[in-house]
Amino acid sequence: MTDFDFTYAVILMVVVFAAIMGSVAYLTFAERKISAWVQDRIGPNRVGPWGLLQVAADGLKFFFKEDIIPKHVDRVFYFLAPGIGVATALLAFSIVPFGPSTPAPGPVGVTAEKPLDAAIAQHEADVKSYHEHTIFALAPGLDIGILFAFAIGSLVVYGIILGGWSSNSKYSLLGSLRSSAQIISYEIPLGMSVLGVFLFAGSVNLEKILDYQIHHGWFILYQPLGFLLFIVSVYAECNRLPFDLPEAEQELVGGFHTEYGSMKLGLLLMVDYIHMITTSFFMAIIFFGGWHFPGLSNIDGIGGMVVKFLILGAKVFFFLMLYMIVRWTIPRFKFDQLMALAWQVMIPLAMVNLVSVMIVKEYQLTPWILTVTSIVTFLAAAVISTREKLTVIQRPVNAAHSA
Amino acid sequence: MFADAVRTSAGVESAFQLADYYPIFLFLGLLVAFVLGTLFSSQLFHRLGLKPFSATAVKLMPYESGMDPIGSARMQFDVKFYLIAILFLVFDVELLFLYPWAVVAYSDAASPAWHENFGRLVFWEVLVFLVSLAVGYVYAWRKGVFEWR
Repeated sequence: MTDFDFTYAVILMVVVFAAIMGSVAYLTFAERKISAWVQDRIGPNRVGPWGLLQVAADGLKFFFKEDIIPKHVDRVFYFLAPGIGVATALLAFSIVPFGPSTPAPGPVGVTAEKPLDAAIAQHEADVKSYHEHTIFALAPGLDIGILFAFAIGSLVVYGIILGGWSSNSKYSLLGSLRSSAQIISYEIPLGMSVLGVFLFAGSVNLEKILDYQIHHGWFILYQPLGFLLFIVSVYAECNRLPFDLPEAEQELVGGFHTEYGSMKLGLLLMVDYIHMITTSFFMAIIFFGGWHFPGLSNIDGIGGMVVKFLILGAKVFFFLMLYMIVRWTIPRFKFDQLMALAWQVMIPLAMVNLVSVMIVKEYQLTPWILTVTSIVTFLAAAVISTREKLTVIQRPVNAAHSA
Repeated sequence: MFADAVRTSAGVESAFQLADYYPIFLFLGLLVAFVLGTLFSSQLFHRLGLKPFSATAVKLMPYESGMDPIGSARMQFDVKFYLIAILFLVFDVELLFLYPWAVVAYSDAASPAWHENFGRLVFWEVLVFLVSLAVGYVYAWRKGVFEWR
C-alpha cells in the first residue's frame, strides 16, 4: 500500500518527535501551574516571563545533576529500564493520525459490471489518491492500527519492572510489583472497552474508525460506557493520580524510580506524559470524532486543514487538561480497591457492553439502544457496588492487608 | 511503485507489504538513538567532570528511609501477583480471539455471501465462547482470586 518516501518520513519523524518532547516539557509545566492554582499557590514564576523557561531550566538540571549509580544495582537492566520505557511509549505514537486524515482504501468488489481489470484499476486509483491525501501519520494505513499501539504501549511494563527489580531496593521492588499488577489488570478492560467500536467500524485502523464517525455520529453517543471504561483504563495505564499507586510518595518514597537520579530519572518521568499525549489522541479520535466537528469539516484547502488541526488539537488539549484536573479531584485508591475495580467492576461491564453491541449489530437494531443500555448498565453496577460496599464496612477488620 | 493487489472474497485489495512498516522501524531507530544518546551524554558529562560527584558509602546504599537496609531486597512477595498474572493470560488470550472476530464480523469489507452463510452461526458461537469465559470468571471470583485481603 505504501509508496515509501524516505526523506519525507524522516522529516516528519523528527518534527513529531520534537513536538512530543516539547509538549511533554510544557505538560510538566502546566501540571505544576495547575496544581498551584488548585492549591491557591503561584507556581513556578521565576525563570523567564511567567516562568515559561522553567522547562529549559529543569531539562538542564536533569543533565547536570549528580549521577549516582548505587553499588547494589544490576547495572545492565538499571540502565536499560528508562530506555525501554521511553522508547516503547513513543513508538506507540507512530500509528496516530495527528492531523486531517482520509481512510485507507478498502477492497474493491468484483462484479459483472466491474470485471477484474476495472477493479484493479480502481484499486490503484484509490491507493494513489490515498497517498496524495494522507500526510499526517508516521505510519499511515496500517491495518493493525490501534492494536499495535496497545501491544507496544503495554511493553512499558518491562521498563517499570526491570527498573524496580534491578534497583535492588525494597521500595522499588514493591512499586514495580504493584505497577505491573495494575497495568496488566487494566489492560483487559482497556482492550474490551473498544471492541464495541471495532464491531461498528469494522476496522482497528484509527483513520477508518474516524471516517465511520463522520458518517454515523461520534462513538461517544453510542458507546458512553465504552468511553468511561476506556478513560478509566488509560488513567490506570498512565499511572495518573487516582491510580498512581506505583509511585505513591507517602508509602513507597518514589516507587520504582526510588534509586534513580539525573537523566535516567528524567526519562522515567517522561514516560507517563508521553502516554498521556498518546491516549488523549486515542480518546479524541476513537470516541470524539478526531478532527471532525459538525459544520466545520467541509472546508477545503489549506484553511480547512488548519481548522481540522485546531479542532483535533482542542479535543486533545481538553483531555490533557482533564488529566490534570482529575489529579486534584479524586483521591488515590487503596490497592485492593484498585484490583477490585478492574476485575470485579470493569471487566463485567465491558462484557455486558460487548454483548449488547453484538446483539444490536446482529439484529440490525438502531444504535441508540446502546446509549440506553450503557446508562442502565452503569446505574445497575453503581447500585450493586454500593450495596456490596456496605457489607464490607460491616465486616470486622481483623486480617491485615497484603502487599 | 504501488504494492501488489490481491483478489480476496471481498474483491481486490492491497496485499500485505513490509514497506508499510518501514516508518515504524525508522522511528524505532530514531528512538533508540535518542535514548542511548541521552544516557551516554549524561554519563559523558559525568566523566568530563561537569557534574558534582561525591560518592560515599552511605550514598551508595539502597534507600530505606535513612536506616541501614535490613536483609536483601530480593524478598518473597504475595502469591496473589502470580494469580493475577495467570488470570491476565486467560483474558488476554480471550481478547486475542475476539479482536479478529470484531473486525470481520460486521465489516463492509467482508463479502455479503459470508454474512448470509455464516453470520448468525458466528454470532452464536461467540456468545457460547463468552458464556464459557463467564463461567471461568465466576469460578475465579468464587475462589476468591479477586479478594486482596
